[in-house]
Amino acid sequence: MLELTGLSRRFGDVLALDGVTFSVPHGEIVGFVGPNGAGKTTTMRIALGVLEADAGEVRWNGRPLDAEARRRFGYMPEERGLYPKIKVLEQLVYLARLHGLSRPDASRRAAETIEVLGVAERANDRVETLSLGNQQRVQLAAALVHRPDVLILDEPFSGLDPVGVDALTGVLHAESEERGVPVVFSSHQLELVERLCDRVVLIDHGKIVAAGTIEELRSSRERRRLRVQVAGAPHEWYDAIPGVRLVEATPNDGIVVELDDEVDEQRVLDLARSAGDVTHFSRERASLAELFREAVRT
Amino acid sequence: MNPRETDRGAWWLVAQRDFWYRLRDKGFMVSTGITMTVLTGVILISANSGGGTPTFDLGLLGSGSGRLGPLVMQAADAQGAKISTTPVADRAAAAAGLEDGSLDAVLLDGERLLTRDGAPAELEGAVQTAVVADGIRATLEANDVPADQIAQILNPAPVPVETLEPQDPNRETNSTVAFITVVVLYGQLFGYGFWVATGVIEEKASRVVEILLSTIHARQLLAGKILGIGTLGLLQLVGIAAYSVALASLTGALDLPSHALGTAALAIGWFVLGFAFYASLFAVAGAIVSRMEELQNAIVPLNLVILVSFFVSIGATSDPGSTLSRIASIVPFSAALCMPVRISLGSATLLEIVASLIVTIGSTALLIPLAGRVYSGAVLRTGARVKLREAWRSAS
Repeated sequence: MLELTGLSRRFGDVLALDGVTFSVPHGEIVGFVGPNGAGKTTTMRIALGVLEADAGEVRWNGRPLDAEARRRFGYMPEERGLYPKIKVLEQLVYLARLHGLSRPDASRRAAETIEVLGVAERANDRVETLSLGNQQRVQLAAALVHRPDVLILDEPFSGLDPVGVDALTGVLHAESEERGVPVVFSSHQLELVERLCDRVVLIDHGKIVAAGTIEELRSSRERRRLRVQVAGAPHEWYDAIPGVRLVEATPNDGIVVELDDEVDEQRVLDLARSAGDVTHFSRERASLAELFREAVRT
Repeated sequence: MNPRETDRGAWWLVAQRDFWYRLRDKGFMVSTGITMTVLTGVILISANSGGGTPTFDLGLLGSGSGRLGPLVMQAADAQGAKISTTPVADRAAAAAGLEDGSLDAVLLDGERLLTRDGAPAELEGAVQTAVVADGIRATLEANDVPADQIAQILNPAPVPVETLEPQDPNRETNSTVAFITVVVLYGQLFGYGFWVATGVIEEKASRVVEILLSTIHARQLLAGKILGIGTLGLLQLVGIAAYSVALASLTGALDLPSHALGTAALAIGWFVLGFAFYASLFAVAGAIVSRMEELQNAIVPLNLVILVSFFVSIGATSDPGSTLSRIASIVPFSAALCMPVRISLGSATLLEIVASLIVTIGSTALLIPLAGRVYSGAVLRTGARVKLREAWRSAS
């Protein structure tokens, strides 16, 4: 398990991280979301030792993370970076060796990795001659080439077409499920995070504002919401019950109302039935995007 | 695994990559080619002119010229030149010989000197001396002076020359060797230092540095880079030195190849010392900017310091004992260029050499960790140029 505890970091007058704490268990994919400038990249850089924290600690399998264990991490920085003038295979071998692999192991793994990621035929081309999509694949290969113990990916999906997104999703699943690798990645594509991640960590202004499975995040939100569709009902039929407020009204899907804690859902249903024909009545599941907006707003 | 082994492995890998990458670089091939060509030219020119004894071919035509021939050769010998004489049949043959270059001048009737476009000073002087000697001999003979006495008068023992300071008979050649050494050393220090800076920027601009720094420490990356590029510079210098000394010995441009070998060894040793010092500064210059275009501005101060050191050291090749040369050979910025000159010209005292070594090695030992810290503080920051103080503070 990768554990980040109380990480703080200041850049000049700006407190970029303020006691960031969360963990990534073996075999889980954790989505790391937050607005721009919230501290995602800084957190990841600290986890990788590229930056040092002013306070706090990164632990790996219960022990403080040392340089040796860190070399076994795989990283995809937000600012993509490879040697533009060096051939694909050659630079993957070099990076694999920096990660501690022997020369034969590095060569074998580099060849395997580009094979899996579908860029094997570009092995002897310089990176700068590749299309952006292929460069992205090589970038991912650089994170995977040494069979990392942990994967930390900063915005890995940005710039990928839908085929690339599927391919990357497959790779992340394979790494976490088959090899039990803890995976943490940041993204602004919240539907993707919702679909892919076991757990989500939400950061804002350098602080973790929510963390847990999507279900946990949903259940922890302050108020319940109902989606109700009533044919032939007068406007604002729900006004009869205090503590029910309109959130959203759509012409085709009825309305979404928010309930105060003391309001009984069944009373709302009764009222709806008395107002007209109820064609739809359900608990509204908040999307991650909504949870995100709420968490960031507070 | 032992962490120290890992550390060694990491910078060693970086050094290997930078070494091979630069070796295959077109710039390396071009710079090696240019240096070799220039040195070949310099050596061949000095082999044909400066080095060795000047030799001339003198044609002898008409009565009186034959008698003067041996006297001219004698006079040339005394002046450190060599003149060989050939009888010439007539005026037409003389003109032909001058035109095709087989003769440098023709003595006509022992009285006049015929040349194509003026006589070399040594030749003219020798003929003049011979004419004077001939006149003296005739007078002495007319006055019945014994032949052995005449010979003694006309061939005096060379006047002994005494100097206030001990003089090296090869002073001029050695100055030339020292001059070439300074030029080559300057080229190596600046060229390879500049490569360290561009290497740092390449990694920074392409952002690959962030991946590298997630596997190894910034100081390992810096050390590996300096070591790899420096090793290439060192090997190139060894190659250049071996080639130049060999060529100079073969063509006879050098009277004392062993001295040149010693100077070459000095240059190689001082390259190592100077490069460690300058490369650290070049790496800092590379780390504080983000793009290649900004590098030219960032290295202006560094450039200036090296250039001043260069010119002072050029001055030292003709005056190694001057106060300026003495100071420059001990100040860390210029020691690596100036001290080898003074050592090779025999001007540096043991105390000065030791002081210079201590200052150079000591300042480099202090500079490397400082440069490493600024480098690690600046290398991840892109955008505007990083102020040195900020880089220092943001490194931890």
